[in-house]
Amino acid sequence: MTTASADVLVGIAPQEAARVLALGASIRLSAGQVLFNLGDAAQSLFVVERGRIALTLPMTLRDKEQDVLIEERSPGQSLGWSALVPPHRFTLKAAAAVDTEVLALPRAALFDHFAAHPAVGYAAMRNLGAVVGHRLQVMQTMWLREVQRVVEISRA
Amino acid sequence: MEMFLMAAVMSLLAVAVSAALFAAATRDDRPEATGSVKRVALEPQRFFASAPGAGPAVQAGPEAESVPVEALLLRIEQHIRLEQAAAESFLHTPNGQSLHSPTTSRLVN
Repeated sequence: MTTASADVLVGIAPQEAARVLALGASIRLSAGQVLFNLGDAAQSLFVVERGRIALTLPMTLRDKEQDVLIEERSPGQSLGWSALVPPHRFTLKAAAAVDTEVLALPRAALFDHFAAHPAVGYAAMRNLGAVVGHRLQVMQTMWLREVQRVVEISRA
Repeated sequence: MEMFLMAAVMSLLAVAVSAALFAAATRDDRPEATGSVKRVALEPQRFFASAPGAGPAVQAGPEAESVPVEALLLRIEQHIRLEQAAAESFLHTPNGQSLHSPTTSRLVN
């Protein structure tokens, strides 16, 4: 993965971005292997280097729990921002959709680096804010559409 | 005269005993009859239960029940993708119409 393609590092000079990426360690996952489960302690932010990660939520269908696909993450996209936001618990389950490689960036190392290099930290957190904000706006819109449907059903 | 009175008393006693036995027999029957009526009234509410001797038409549930779990899961995931696309469209051009644009999702149609 090139440093320029990581969404969390957009706008950061290549040499500075390379230092941030050097804080992480690559993890290889085979297809179907779980990266983290819903409710797990979130210690690292991940960036997909190769392959695809499926983000799922559990849903009960006919008395059986099933993982419902919510989103997929492809190379350059980050996931697991719960690592940077209290209470540091994952709110989705992440598993490899195909053979995948992700870069795990530990929270403590990231925060130490950002404290030492505030301009890099500012840019990275601004990028992360955009990712989180977009997710919030999409989910808020989806929720409102469902509420509208419930209102229409209850009126019928 | 004494014989006549004795016969009359015995007859009355026999009638009284017969009446008591009849009343007791009638009381025993009533709760059973009411129970049967209640059971008959409740039976149609067992929508998804397979009643003994019921034919295939009674055992069939609504359409959702007949869809395999895998197909239902695909429908839900397609619904989520369509809703995400609708939400992205709204965020691109926020207005009341794009917020509540209709969906082609089979899950809600």
